[in-house]
Amino acid sequence: MTTTSRKGFAAFISDCTRWALSGGVGYKIYLAALFALIGAGIYAYSQQFRYGLRITGMSDIVSWGLYISNFTFFVGVAAAAVMLILPAYILKDKDLHKVVIIGEGVAVGALIMCLLFITVDMGGPLKVWHMIPGIGLFNWPSSILTWDVLVLNGYLALNSLVPLYILYCNYHGRNPVGWKYKPFVFLSIFWAVSIHMTTAFLYQGLPARPFWNNPLLGPRFLASAFAAGPAVIMMVLIVIKESTHYPIEINIFNKLKKIIVVAAIINLVMLFSEVFKEFYTFTHHSLSAQYLFFGLEGHDSLVPWIWTAISLNILGTMLFAFDPTKCNPKYLMVAAISLFTGIWIEKGFGLIIPGFVPSPLGEVVDYSPSILEIMITVGILAVGAFVVTMLIKPALVIEMRLREQKTGSQ
Amino acid sequence: MSKFSYAAGLLLGALAAVILISQAATASGSPGSESVKDRIEQAIEPFDSLKVTTAYPLPVKTVEAKEQYQGGSFKVLARKDQITRFRCSVCHNDKMVKVRNGALFTHSDIQLNHGLGRNQLTCNECHAIENRDVLVDKQGGQIDFDHSYQLCGKCHFRQKRDWLGGAHGKRETYWAGERVIRNCTSCHNPHSPAFPTKMPATYSLPLDE
Amino acid sequence: MDSGNNQIEKMQTENMPEKKSSRRDFLKNMSIAAAAGSAGLVVGGCSGTPATEKMGLKWEEYFKKHYRLMTQEEKDATVTRLERLAKLERGINVQISDQGPHEQVLFGYAFNISRCKGYMDCVEACVRENNLDRRTKTQYVRIFEMDPGQLDPSAGDGQYHHEVPVKNKFYMGVQCFHCENAPCIKACPTKATWREPDGIVVIDYDWCIGCRYCLAACPYWGRRFNWGDPEVPKDEINLNQHYLGNRMRMKGVMEKCTFCIQRTRKGKLPACADACPTGSRVFGNLLDPNSEIRFVLKNKKVFRFKEDLGTEPKFWYFMD
Repeated sequence: MTTTSRKGFAAFISDCTRWALSGGVGYKIYLAALFALIGAGIYAYSQQFRYGLRITGMSDIVSWGLYISNFTFFVGVAAAAVMLILPAYILKDKDLHKVVIIGEGVAVGALIMCLLFITVDMGGPLKVWHMIPGIGLFNWPSSILTWDVLVLNGYLALNSLVPLYILYCNYHGRNPVGWKYKPFVFLSIFWAVSIHMTTAFLYQGLPARPFWNNPLLGPRFLASAFAAGPAVIMMVLIVIKESTHYPIEINIFNKLKKIIVVAAIINLVMLFSEVFKEFYTFTHHSLSAQYLFFGLEGHDSLVPWIWTAISLNILGTMLFAFDPTKCNPKYLMVAAISLFTGIWIEKGFGLIIPGFVPSPLGEVVDYSPSILEIMITVGILAVGAFVVTMLIKPALVIEMRLREQKTGSQ
Repeated sequence: MSKFSYAAGLLLGALAAVILISQAATASGSPGSESVKDRIEQAIEPFDSLKVTTAYPLPVKTVEAKEQYQGGSFKVLARKDQITRFRCSVCHNDKMVKVRNGALFTHSDIQLNHGLGRNQLTCNECHAIENRDVLVDKQGGQIDFDHSYQLCGKCHFRQKRDWLGGAHGKRETYWAGERVIRNCTSCHNPHSPAFPTKMPATYSLPLDE
Repeated sequence: MDSGNNQIEKMQTENMPEKKSSRRDFLKNMSIAAAAGSAGLVVGGCSGTPATEKMGLKWEEYFKKHYRLMTQEEKDATVTRLERLAKLERGINVQISDQGPHEQVLFGYAFNISRCKGYMDCVEACVRENNLDRRTKTQYVRIFEMDPGQLDPSAGDGQYHHEVPVKNKFYMGVQCFHCENAPCIKACPTKATWREPDGIVVIDYDWCIGCRYCLAACPYWGRRFNWGDPEVPKDEINLNQHYLGNRMRMKGVMEKCTFCIQRTRKGKLPACADACPTGSRVFGNLLDPNSEIRFVLKNKKVFRFKEDLGTEPKFWYFMD
């Protein structure tokens, strides 16, 4: 590299941008595809902005849909970075320390997706200043939504500033100063738990919706997040391992695998506990669960989804638990995709929609997202993938350089 | 370092919990706190609803009721100017009505369906034979058409009690201002007092279309 | 720029003689002039055309405060702007009131389930009174046809369309219950919905960001969302409006039953109660021991929907 001598923040930014955008033909195609999806999403959102949310499949009965489902799920993915940070910084695990920056990049991408999902779900996105304390009215501490705004933005700040500082130091070939960033790292560990618990409280605190009004919701959010999040991180790691020269040792996969298995099993136990409660003594409050698992009054659009999700959940857990290949990346990719998809469906669609069905007045409707709604969602997912790529690619270059420097000087 | 951070984190968590719990205790109106029912029971001072000055003018002709309700006097909707052929004594005078098919031309719209089964009422159980301009009760007391509640209440005394208090019938247009309520005959057809069967005024959209 | 206009307005108001009737008209003209002026600044061109005036008014509307934080002057100014906008956009002369609550008034409602025949005149009257969206057929009031042996509307049929009343059925109306301890108010992140001193739960439509958390929090399905711009035929628009009530909503905001605030603050019954041909709907002042609603609470056996949630609805059901 020719830029080793350059110093300062401007150089750091320009180099990072250059590293982020440069790559082979495959990488260029990947970026172009992302841009195409983002462009389609922007087009779809322009329609929604013009005509209102009526272009979505939502209604007064099912008033949150694909957007909020994905928001909920990706809060979990964001929180899951803690499963790398915790062992790396507190248990001083050397292997995970090498990839913790990737976990943080995934968290930032997930958080940006969350904020975008919230924004596109709002009826008046231009009026968002009404929530800013001082010039607007912030209904804190009464509204759990305001808590969520605080913790999400705080977590975004923590997870972008800490890696930024570390990378900035590494870029200049020096080690970061511990006291300058470690307190924030520890803070982010608690913060990660809080973002997901707060998001769970958003639903859990509503007696109007018996399906959500369940003390197990928060803990189960954490368990499923700590399974799905590391699965995403593992997918990213496998992609990096297969497509770059960045060294990722098999040991890291092994450790991630253990984390995933424990979390996934706890998640399944909690799922079983919930299902037992709903169906052993069937009450009025179990109607949502019946709608989800078996259909209600002829409406059963979620039934195939939830059973697919549970199958994938169990399959993914089994694949991780009994790995005969001893961490073959291709095998792990299958397992990770299976578990990730399972939890995505179960915790997105499978959690949000049945909360609204049947309505408080007992009415049952089906919800299916519109094409434009799906386009917007896919666009946001593409933004997330783009952000993660843009963050991780320069980070890997900087880390590689630092490592080369160190081995060179020894 | 790490111990300090643990402590800091726990402290933060505890703080959040305290805020949440205190918030829950104050804002959610826990069962122990004053409920709206207590507030209502404690309100014993009558409200001067005449001070809602926009509750005028009264839209219809009214007469002062000959009864009292909990708040004193009140008015009911006048009835006589709603009856198309009032006054009845124009035809029903001291001579016999001699028009051929007179009853058919004048009163055939009346379907008498008042009372259950064999206890159907007949015309003269309410209308006075001697003076058609008034109603009459079983004791022979004459009752003005504007005050038909006095007659209806002879049988329907439970409904009348509710009507006087406000649980049956309804006020005219205003909740405030002078109390004006509908007469029995404002809503019920006295000859067939049960409400008819008909199509609803509108419908609720099937929600999944 | 905005504050500048307000200052001019204030100065002018202070200089005005104490003639109440002309003061409002004057304010109206002043703020139109001010709006046109600022529109000129924004667009950077000729002021005075309807398009620029409209833009200027919308610009000022965008930066206005929460309704409860406005001074009376600011309330008057926004009302004037909204009335002018209705004229410019729809060509109608609306009158938007900002009348406050009466003292010693707490509104309450009682519904007689043994009287209601399911005619739905209340629903129709509500739609017309409150300028509800005709395209999606928004309704605040819903009537459920119930089988004997149940008292929970969620077990009834809310979509019946046949001759009523049906023998051996009874009818139960639901709408916003104006809970004293309303979950929706607690949920709103911007305090855009609150309970007025007379007990009506209202929404500042211009302050609502459309997150729909209140809709999820309401155990009675009392709230509706404007998924698109509401459509009402021009000649059917009710011109007597209230800032917190039936003024035209816009896409992306919540709306709900306001006990017809534009009527009830003037002493009238809500449109549903006024339209009911059977007298099943009793409305009045809960703090007045002589009111009809108090008679019902005292002399009838009453119950409320989902009492176990502790929401304290001010809407009771009773039987003869």
